[in-house]
Amino acid sequence: MRIVNPTFGLSAAAGETVALKPINWATDAIALMSNSKPNARELLEGVRAKLSAFRNVDNIVYHSKNSASQAAPKDQIEKVAANFRGALLALGD
Amino acid sequence: MIATETFKPLILAQAKARKIEPRLIVVKHPVGGLNAEELRERIEAATKGLTEATKK
Amino acid sequence: MTDIAEQEVIDIADMDVEAFNEFATEQGWSDGMPLFVPTEAKVAKFVDTVRGDNRPYSPVPPRQIVPTIQAMAANAVMAGCKPEYFPVVTAALRSVLEPDFNLHGTLATTHSCAPMVMISGPIRKELNVNCGSNCFGQGWQANATIGRALGLMLLNIAGAKPGEMDRSTQGNPAKFTFCFGENEEENPWTPYHVQRGFKPTDNVVTVMSGEGPHNLNDHGSTTGDGLLTTFAGGMATPGANTVYGKGPSFIIIGPEHAATLKRDGFTIETIREELWQRSRIHISRVSKGNLDTYASTGHKPDGDYLRIGRTPQDLHITVAGGPGKHSAFIPSFGGTMVACTRIQ
Repeated sequence: MRIVNPTFGLSAAAGETVALKPINWATDAIALMSNSKPNARELLEGVRAKLSAFRNVDNIVYHSKNSASQAAPKDQIEKVAANFRGALLALGD
Repeated sequence: MIATETFKPLILAQAKARKIEPRLIVVKHPVGGLNAEELRERIEAATKGLTEATKK
Repeated sequence: MTDIAEQEVIDIADMDVEAFNEFATEQGWSDGMPLFVPTEAKVAKFVDTVRGDNRPYSPVPPRQIVPTIQAMAANAVMAGCKPEYFPVVTAALRSVLEPDFNLHGTLATTHSCAPMVMISGPIRKELNVNCGSNCFGQGWQANATIGRALGLMLLNIAGAKPGEMDRSTQGNPAKFTFCFGENEEENPWTPYHVQRGFKPTDNVVTVMSGEGPHNLNDHGSTTGDGLLTTFAGGMATPGANTVYGKGPSFIIIGPEHAATLKRDGFTIETIREELWQRSRIHISRVSKGNLDTYASTGHKPDGDYLRIGRTPQDLHITVAGGPGKHSAFIPSFGGTMVACTRIQ
């Protein structure tokens, strides 16, 4: 018998996988991006403190969303993308 | 991206939908609700994971 | 379940309903309850009910696919809908796709939220939607299957597979179905959809990502003021996401409570204002850790109290249910909005 597939849909994403740009984790500016759940900031700040033994951390900067339940605003994402070579995200669940 | 083992399937599924291959550092679950002593282990694991991932 | 299904129509071996349900469960299409078979012929009857509605659908998160009408109808068929329910189901999907509804967040969260679907307008009667006794409960095909159809679409189209993309810690029975009608006939004020700017004759679907209804039992109060004290006490709950002060909630007033409030001169606006003032949560009822967390995202106490929304307008009020001294508070997920769509 012929049935209609309840999962069918057209992909909204582009056809090709998004490639990540190369980053030098020893020197490049890095954004620490928290999902604003409890302990996400503490985790990222802890990693930053540990990294200070190996590299300059003045250009590793903490950011957070203003709501754990909503996506980061587009302008915040664009600002981070414009100013940092890499981002380290933490999901504090 | 630092995530707990419990949330790894969610991240991989969402990344797949967006055709992104995230570089994932997996730590034990949970992160929320831990005290400073307990969180120290997660920080150690995340730093180790980051160091190893960025050597590649 | 495959990520992007390659074929809209699938040829499978002839099988009975039981075998189909085993097949569908293996595919990950089931909410755990028996499904009807979405044959091409049955789906076509549903699609016929929305011919002429050519407005596009935006990609459905988290899976980010644009659904086809046939796939949406297949879910409505599987849920047990009648074809005439389908325009309500598609309006419900359009509502949850409003950007500020934050469908992605509501599906991927650890919170227990489920999409509450409220139906307003004459179509309630045409489809026999229960607006009276036990309106949140079992017994009515329209209530049971329209809400279920939306849930199945969120599973199969959005990809909200429990334990994978749907990360709810405990879930909520309302995730099976949560659909009811406004009791406009016993609403002494303005029906909700009219409050939102629609005409009384419009048929409207309203959605909010919420918890299940929290009962507000008050048999003893004989005044509207007394009822509002009880309502506000029930709403001032530190364990609901409304404690974040960032989102809407619904107060669904039972008809007998509504009659008392009306008799004592209360309007929707004055009820809203009173509840806004009285439903604040005293900080002594909130842990220091939580207060610190809320403050870090900008939600600080107003004096010694936390508000349960941003403004009084975050409290949405209407009437539903039957005889008895009960009302309901439905707190939302928080980072969401109440979205309304006119049924075409």
